[in-house]
Amino acid sequence: MSAANLSRRAFLRGTVMAGGGLVVGFLLPGCSEPGLPVARLDGDWVPNAFLQFTPDGVVRFFCPRSEMGQGVTTGLTTLVAEELDFAPDRMQIELASAHPDYVNPDFGVQATGGSSAMKAHWLPLRQVGADTRMLLLQAASAQTGASPAELSTDDGFVLHGTHRIPYVDLLETAAGMPMPSESPLKPASDFRWIGKDASRLDSLPKATGTAVYGIDVDVPGMHHAVVLRSPVFGGTVSSLDAAPALAVDGVTDVLEIDTGVAVVATSYWQARKGAQALSVQWQGGASADVSSASVRADYEFAAEDDGNEAHAEGDFRAAFAAASDTLEATWWAPYLAHAPMEPMNAVAHVRADAAEVWAGTQGPGPTQGLVARHADLEPEQVTVHQTWLGGGFGRRGTIRYVAEATQISKATGKPVKVLWSREDDLRAGLYRPASLMRIRAGLDADGRISAWEAKRIGGNITPDTLENVLPAVLPGAPEGVIDAAVGLADKAMRDWVVDNASIEGFHEDYDLPNFSVRHVTRDHGIPLTFWRSVGHSYTAFAKETAMDELAERAGQDPVAFRVAHLRGNPRLRNVVEVAGREMATMGKAAGRHLGLAAHGSFFTDVAEVAEVSVENGRIRVHEVLCVVDCGTAVNPDVIRAQMEGAVMFGLTAALDGEIEIEDGAVKQSNFHDYPILRMTEAPKVRVVIINSSDAPTGVGEPGLPPIAPAVANAVYRATGQRLRAMPLAKALLA
Amino acid sequence: MIRFTLNGETVETDLAPDTPLLWAVRDEFGLKGSKFGCGAGLCGACTMHVDGEAARTCILPIAAVNGREITTIEGLGTPDAPHPLQEAWVAHSVPQCGYCQSGQIMSAAAFLATNASPTEADVEAAMAGNICRCGCYPRIKEAILASAEALATDAMAEETRA
Repeated sequence: MSAANLSRRAFLRGTVMAGGGLVVGFLLPGCSEPGLPVARLDGDWVPNAFLQFTPDGVVRFFCPRSEMGQGVTTGLTTLVAEELDFAPDRMQIELASAHPDYVNPDFGVQATGGSSAMKAHWLPLRQVGADTRMLLLQAASAQTGASPAELSTDDGFVLHGTHRIPYVDLLETAAGMPMPSESPLKPASDFRWIGKDASRLDSLPKATGTAVYGIDVDVPGMHHAVVLRSPVFGGTVSSLDAAPALAVDGVTDVLEIDTGVAVVATSYWQARKGAQALSVQWQGGASADVSSASVRADYEFAAEDDGNEAHAEGDFRAAFAAASDTLEATWWAPYLAHAPMEPMNAVAHVRADAAEVWAGTQGPGPTQGLVARHADLEPEQVTVHQTWLGGGFGRRGTIRYVAEATQISKATGKPVKVLWSREDDLRAGLYRPASLMRIRAGLDADGRISAWEAKRIGGNITPDTLENVLPAVLPGAPEGVIDAAVGLADKAMRDWVVDNASIEGFHEDYDLPNFSVRHVTRDHGIPLTFWRSVGHSYTAFAKETAMDELAERAGQDPVAFRVAHLRGNPRLRNVVEVAGREMATMGKAAGRHLGLAAHGSFFTDVAEVAEVSVENGRIRVHEVLCVVDCGTAVNPDVIRAQMEGAVMFGLTAALDGEIEIEDGAVKQSNFHDYPILRMTEAPKVRVVIINSSDAPTGVGEPGLPPIAPAVANAVYRATGQRLRAMPLAKALLA
Repeated sequence: MIRFTLNGETVETDLAPDTPLLWAVRDEFGLKGSKFGCGAGLCGACTMHVDGEAARTCILPIAAVNGREITTIEGLGTPDAPHPLQEAWVAHSVPQCGYCQSGQIMSAAAFLATNASPTEADVEAAMAGNICRCGCYPRIKEAILASAEALATDAMAEETRA
């Protein structure tokens, strides 16, 4: 099936079922509006990179952020639709390809992460909608002779007296007119869709198996590749016998690439069988002598180091020495894998003068650069086809799987799909860093925190991120330059400055008169990256369990103690007060115990109350209350879903999540030894969204940090045990 | 040559008999709705119906389905004519990333065929084999219970008419 067999209109529409197979059609390059990444057919109006109006009345929105489940397609469509005055559920969503117009305003790169999308696009995308609507009004004015003041709009129509002109009738006129700028945005009181519960716009394709993920892409002549990688991180091939693999039916190529040895075949199953037959020996590797026990022992050894100061105010040492009562303890958080349900995969087709790549990534922009680098092409010669992501959680921000597909396609001349197994995903991934944390806190005679020191010992994410992102965003830079930049960042963060991702969340929330946040960098060669809520995923655990301990020492209720330390943070204070009131109605059944935790991250404030019982040595979480303030609730139901999901994701990590290292390699291999919370263990989640007219902030990550400490605080009430190590199930039995 | 029924149509293949049904359906017959999640029968993303029963097809060799009836998510319903469970999934905005949902729905459909009026605990036990990494469990449960209720009402209406 070639593109020529499909009508151009059908080809533009995205997914086409044909001949029992699935062909993914995407925008044709070469016929787009000058400077715009959107293909235009006769009669179409493409006013900007985000919108396309067709003569048959379709309005398409090109969503600039990656949809990994967080609801961004629904949310951003709602923003543009609100100002355009066109119902969001009648818009067609396209996943944007790589183009400078789609960069994340918060990052300057076309990437999705950091719960940034709603905050970053709140004004810019509404402006796109408002300017486009203004131009449609001007076109209607030109067509009817009516003054713009006599015209208004209503869901896809310009109104002139009793006359309703559909937008589609204005396209030709509008196409010849200049786009206005800075058109006024609607006041919140006029919102028709923002702030209302509405169904997600991607539910039907996802419920009928018709949404196309990277793994579902088929292109003509496509081959399938499986890559064997060194079990020890950074290890290289010492000996390789390709013959047994090449003897497997369907296997066409065996080749070495940067990350290991690729086995290429005409189907995935044949490639997998070929990989099983392959004989390969590995040597060396940065993590060769590392184990989880050695990492922990090293961190404990390093805990006495002063390290580098990240933030400080007042005089911690003097205040700690003068405190009436003190708390000093250490906390542990293990390495974690993201384990999105869709294993890593990408399809690449490299030709002499152009390349195409199909993949679900958190960065179509970096994807374009990375393919260009490995295909020896210019970024403009690379077409990126973005698909739905079967989960991201930070993992799909590092796109070595795209580089693998590119290298294999370039070397073999074939279009190639690389697909990782679950074992590959857990063992050859990048991890939430393990962390040892030490908090020393002092209370004054009035039971107020007078001194606070939080120190974290562990590896830094940012140098690893640069190692992965720089080759993609600077595709022309030589390897030596990249290595030098990464080395410099690594050294800087070891010796002089603190990687904020390592310590975020340690001190920001509460009134702390004398505090110091410190960091000791210890790196053991385990690849690290962003994992849903990043540093907050462990700092909140230490901070919020410490707050409960301090409240107890001060003889105060945990809610009142927190509220007393939130004078400078009225938004989180309100969230805690609301959670406290709700908490009073929970936990009435025998054997149930409550724990509360609160944390601000990514500009959103969340408090959670966990209702827990401990039965036969097993922690059971029955119900979770989640109170969230994320500014304007663009779609309350999506916010509830994100809070529910973050609670489940956070509980998986809190109760059982642990990636262990043995002889330099990851011990876990699949869901039997890296268990994910199942429906039988899933608590009820009740979400309360604070009514707010502030600009919206993110919701993908902030629901996660409070759940582990909320559960640990509840377990203390149930058992008297202070759990200061995750996973909690293991700590409970220790 | 292995022959079976796929969504009502007889199909045959000369793929190696140890090929898992999942890969035959995805790569040979081009139906991509059933997903690969673990390759070990641990997550349920690959769930299809084999003679009406939910089966983990990432570990089910095609040799074992010779002559049997296979239904995939594509055979359950389509965007134009969705199954009541798929309608419930949309009504409750169940999916987040959506990747596991084909398997969730196929497990739920096979379960409701054996238990028309399940309790919450019944649903939890029946769905325990399907992992959702996004944590959509509360909504999956709601959608199944709502769908069971709707199916029961329909059945009652049928009976009244009969």
